[in-house]
Amino acid sequence: MIFNPEFSAQQQHTTSPIVTGGSVIALAYKGGVVVGVDTLCSYGSMADFKNVEKIAQVSKNTIYVSSGEFSDFQQVVRELAKIDRSALQYDDGVHPSPRDYGNYLARLSYKRRCKINPLYLQNVIAGFHNGERYLGLVDIYGTYLESNFVTTGFASYFCKAIISNYWNDNCTLDQAKQVIRECFKVLFCRDCRAHDVIQLAYVDEQGAHLEQPERVETKWDFSGFKNRANEKLHTQ
Amino acid sequence: MLKHLYDTDCVTWSPQGKLFQVEYAMEAVKQGSICLGLKSNENVVLCSLKRQPSELAGYQEKQFKIDDHMAIAIAGLTADARVLCKYMRTECLEYKYTYESHHPVGRLVFKVAEKSQHKTQSGAKRPYGVGLLVAGIDPNGVHLFETCPSGNYYEYKCQAIGSRSQAARTYFESWFHLFEKSTLEQLILHGLSAIKKAIMEDEELNEKNVEVGILGKNLKFTHLNAQELKDYITKLDTFSPNSQIQQE
Repeated sequence: MIFNPEFSAQQQHTTSPIVTGGSVIALAYKGGVVVGVDTLCSYGSMADFKNVEKIAQVSKNTIYVSSGEFSDFQQVVRELAKIDRSALQYDDGVHPSPRDYGNYLARLSYKRRCKINPLYLQNVIAGFHNGERYLGLVDIYGTYLESNFVTTGFASYFCKAIISNYWNDNCTLDQAKQVIRECFKVLFCRDCRAHDVIQLAYVDEQGAHLEQPERVETKWDFSGFKNRANEKLHTQ
Repeated sequence: MLKHLYDTDCVTWSPQGKLFQVEYAMEAVKQGSICLGLKSNENVVLCSLKRQPSELAGYQEKQFKIDDHMAIAIAGLTADARVLCKYMRTECLEYKYTYESHHPVGRLVFKVAEKSQHKTQSGAKRPYGVGLLVAGIDPNGVHLFETCPSGNYYEYKCQAIGSRSQAARTYFESWFHLFEKSTLEQLILHGLSAIKKAIMEDEELNEKNVEVGILGKNLKFTHLNAQELKDYITKLDTFSPNSQIQQE
């Protein structure tokens, strides 16, 4: 490409994302909050990076995940780490709570939206503080919501029915994890940018626990596939 | 000691290792009328004696709310106090805007101390001539801090600053072991008793010249109104710390 000096003088704005992460699903359960996300970063329609661990632990009792432009996610992780680090400077034992992170991110996103140069992300902050669960959603515009369950991306379309039928906020950790796994099964079938390897993490009063990535159960041995019923029509 | 050789500005040490300008600024605090603070496990109380410049004038307020969970009582130059008060209020508002929660108290006092210290290390500036008693509640608990023109700050269970504050501090030394478990009412009565020790013989406490501010874990900062002050001052006659010991 020929270097165009005019372009460098202009302010560049994010108009469309390049490397993107998939849907995030987070549910509160009795005693904490559990979050699930797949391990794929897509380069447009190409499944480029398939082993990405996308759950960031920003403090002892807070985790942060997002879907959207992955480089923005990495930048936000750095910004959130700055807050916790500055707490060390004061040395007074006061650390930000999960809600502090959620609100800070909402303010940051809103500021960027006002400059028409957004952080191209749907953000989820999950945590446990002072005996209370916390689950917050911050979208690309800086809208801030706290809720018992949160979905981003295609999960908002495909998974809410599953969640409302099989989950309530008093369920056990294993029940909540199972609901999330079911959701990702459906997403892998229906969302073109989804992946079958997911990572779960949960936060309870002991703090944040990140688990190893796991493969979602999928079923491909349907008789229609095996017998290849359609193929016979085309081999003449 | 030839003080006048070393006391022109903040950037000159004396041979004894003192910064006289800073010490003179602390004198300004000692000339202000008394204010004191004391805390229990649940509450902080600030009491101050208001000065009336003349019979025609009103009484000078000494306590200012910084945020729902924090307040200050001042002794010294009121104009300097206003500057620090505005700074503290702005910091609290910005913190609330960004995090939707209350500014940790110790952290704000640290910021004020930094600001004060800055003024003691420049040829062109003078230290703030005011001492603050900062009362506040945050997730770390109930706090009472004192800030100095020197840029130092200290955390206290109870403290009195300003003119004749030694008398109040002597009262505190005898009775502060009761404060932790005191009720709000007992705390207010202790505060008023301590102030009573510090007034001149021909003066008397009344609802016009005394200011009491209260703060609690579930209680936003408020001033006692005139009627409440009158009632408490009346109760002082029958209040004795000894009776509190007998109750426990």
